[in-house]
Amino acid sequence: MPPFRLVVNGAAREVDAPADMPLLWVLRDRLGLTGTKYGCGVGICGACTVHLDGRAARSCQVAVRDAAGPRITTIEGLSADGRHPIQRAWLEEDVAQCGYCQAGMIMCAAAFLAQKPRPTDADVDAAMSDSVCRCGTYQRIRRAIRLAAEGPR
Amino acid sequence: MRMTRREALRVGSLSGAALVLDVAWSGRIAAAPAASFRPNAWLRVGADGSVAITVGKSEMGQGVRTSLPMLVADELEVDLAAVELIQAVPGPDFKRLRTGGSGSVYGSYAALRKAGAAAREMLVTAAAAQWGVEPKLCRAEKASVVHEPTGRRAAYSTLVDAAARLPVPAEPHVKDAQELRLVGRPTRRFDGPRIVTGRAVYGLDTRVSGMRQAVVARPPVLGGSVARWDGARAKAVPGVRDVVQVPTGIAVVADDTWAALQGREALDVTWNDGPNAGFDSVEFRRRLAAAAQGPGRLSRREGAGLAALASAARRLDATYEYPFQAHAPLETMNTIADVRSGRCEIWSPTQAPEQVRDETAKILGLAPEAVRVNVTLIGGGFGRRLGIDYAVEAVHVARAAGAPVQVVWTRPDDMRHGHFQPASAHRMAAGLDAEGRLVAWGHRKAGSYLSIFPAPTAAEMQDPAHWQDESWGAYDIPYAIPAIETDYVLVDSPVPSGPWRAVYSPSCTFARESFLDEAAHAAGRDPLRMRLELLNAPSPVTIGGLTIDRTRLRRVLETAAARSGWGEPLPKGRGRGVAANVYDGDTHVAMVAEVTVAGGDVRVDRVVAAVDCGPFVNPMHIERQVESGVVWALATLFFGEITIAAGRVQQSSYGDYAVPRLKHMPVVETHVLPATVTQPSGIGEAPVPPLAPAVLNAVFAACGRRLRRLPVRPADLA
Repeated sequence: MPPFRLVVNGAAREVDAPADMPLLWVLRDRLGLTGTKYGCGVGICGACTVHLDGRAARSCQVAVRDAAGPRITTIEGLSADGRHPIQRAWLEEDVAQCGYCQAGMIMCAAAFLAQKPRPTDADVDAAMSDSVCRCGTYQRIRRAIRLAAEGPR
Repeated sequence: MRMTRREALRVGSLSGAALVLDVAWSGRIAAAPAASFRPNAWLRVGADGSVAITVGKSEMGQGVRTSLPMLVADELEVDLAAVELIQAVPGPDFKRLRTGGSGSVYGSYAALRKAGAAAREMLVTAAAAQWGVEPKLCRAEKASVVHEPTGRRAAYSTLVDAAARLPVPAEPHVKDAQELRLVGRPTRRFDGPRIVTGRAVYGLDTRVSGMRQAVVARPPVLGGSVARWDGARAKAVPGVRDVVQVPTGIAVVADDTWAALQGREALDVTWNDGPNAGFDSVEFRRRLAAAAQGPGRLSRREGAGLAALASAARRLDATYEYPFQAHAPLETMNTIADVRSGRCEIWSPTQAPEQVRDETAKILGLAPEAVRVNVTLIGGGFGRRLGIDYAVEAVHVARAAGAPVQVVWTRPDDMRHGHFQPASAHRMAAGLDAEGRLVAWGHRKAGSYLSIFPAPTAAEMQDPAHWQDESWGAYDIPYAIPAIETDYVLVDSPVPSGPWRAVYSPSCTFARESFLDEAAHAAGRDPLRMRLELLNAPSPVTIGGLTIDRTRLRRVLETAAARSGWGEPLPKGRGRGVAANVYDGDTHVAMVAEVTVAGGDVRVDRVVAAVDCGPFVNPMHIERQVESGVVWALATLFFGEITIAAGRVQQSSYGDYAVPRLKHMPVVETHVLPATVTQPSGIGEAPVPPLAPAVLNAVFAACGRRLRRLPVRPADLA
């Protein structure tokens, strides 16, 4: 188990782990960052979404050996104070129900808006449809993204 | 008396809060200066001014950690944002803790308001006594008592000691509707800030000192068992600590989840398939449809019953079919158990903590008081977590491993080893007279009882009330039809089944409201107008154990119709459909769905819902639950189906058990009607049943295709 040097939320972290251990479990079980969620383990639900160098990635599909290098951002590090425009919009629209998928949804939305600050409705539907919410918060996610993109009314 | 299934689902939500107060409402008088004021189990005011409110229900997204504290905080006159929440632990103060049956608000409404009101009255009395003034000239606001004539003010923190010495009033003044300050107003989620920053702690996120993680290899065939196993290869995986046998299979205990998963891959285990290796759900669904053609056990008869069909001018017949469904909540099943000598502590995302405690005590040979069950936040419940299988399994693993263990279920584990929504078939018959009036109605359900509850007794098999219990949505058809006959054919099934959002109602309401649409079209009548006419009848009426208020149902139908533009023309390929339901005699919901059918595909464009659930606590929660119910029901309509072949559940994840994604979300408009009654009713389940028939009736309006089998496949529309 070679030590892997990760940069997580701006801090250097050294992790002893098997090279094929998914970043998801490194974050959750080794680094205590449980905001990133396990949902399916095969990259089809989006609950484990983090940013690698600012781009959305499924942490269950990234082996720790491939996570050494890029800047890793988790929901805990999206903003210092919980006031990222997406987080504020999420609170304003009171999106969450059970909340379990929401970290992944927020990380998806934040990466998407960073690349496409003025999305159309169709852009939002396409970008956000790789994630699963069983509570059905989709209508509010649409509204929150629109709010974050347009700024407070 | 033996509990009926409905009672089993509702117990606790109805009686829990009241029972707690029976115990805690003892008029405690403190002997020594009090560090805090705790007149009942639900709230505490500290000498430092802190206010803590206890939540007796499990939070799984329905918003109880907001709505229930709102009830207390409103009466107590404290700011909700400053309140600390405590999750109740089963014990002498909190009995029958259980969250289900959509009952959190209606079961707690009166008791929690009374708890807050009593505390407020005691604080006011204490202040008035200190000032030597009339209590009725004082009022509470913002965690203080104010003497109206002088404006003199005392913070609650300064009154704690005096208030704690007062007797608890038996009948405090509970606010009138116009005095309410929080209740009824849109209020954002208490846990929102934690959720959006990743700090909300669910079951899977809970960490306990010295904890290990485990996964369990379970038999692939339903009802199978371990034949033999060898843990040597699993133990050789770095990080694996132990491999132990438990009643459900073989557990691999490790330092982290990944090691446990790798260990399970390496495990040698041979299974006994047991008696269900030949079970096939496709064949079973055919068996249900065939059984629905035969005679059943009567649940209701009005007028001449099915005999009235003989004299009808026109007769319609159809069979509707409903699939097995999984809950598939996003947080998979999991529980931490720490079994020590003489005691046990559990952390579980459970809807049934008291049952977990009692079953654990039985397994370990402990008194229930020696078992502490901490309820974590729940990443989606939907009835799955009324089953305690996964919590009990963790107790077995922890005991065998001799260490605190978090048992983690993977998505495939969760998909294959749940308790499912049972499949059913519905044989419908209707008679129309020469004028096109609906004069006879038959609804026979063929299905299975929920296997996590006991099988029906011999006495129940003869009791119409039992079959009513198993067919809400069918026997309680709210429409006034001169002849009605509903019955039930019990078909034995080896598939584990249990409560699932709205239980029996979605399948029965799908058949009932779709077939009513068929009858309307056959008669050349407008489906909305026909429903309204059938509800223009004596109200309320008693049907079985339920009271059905047809006036309220008419009102939601009229509202949904008006807000949706019912009757206005739509372009070709689009259609509107309507459906309505009284959920379990309580909450009235009508929905109008608007769809586009094109190229063998259905798009649900818009759903207009009108809801009457009596007085509501948080209108934001009502809207959210309606949106949630729409998405939940869409999954059954167009996406998921659990199939079983050779006794094995075929699905493993959200790929083969597909669920709606954001792009499938229709625009949902929710209209919450003002209350005409004083008792609230539930909202967690009620929005689910009417959605499927509203959408399928809209599909018929759009393209003339009647869909009677769920889930709908592209081939059905080709």
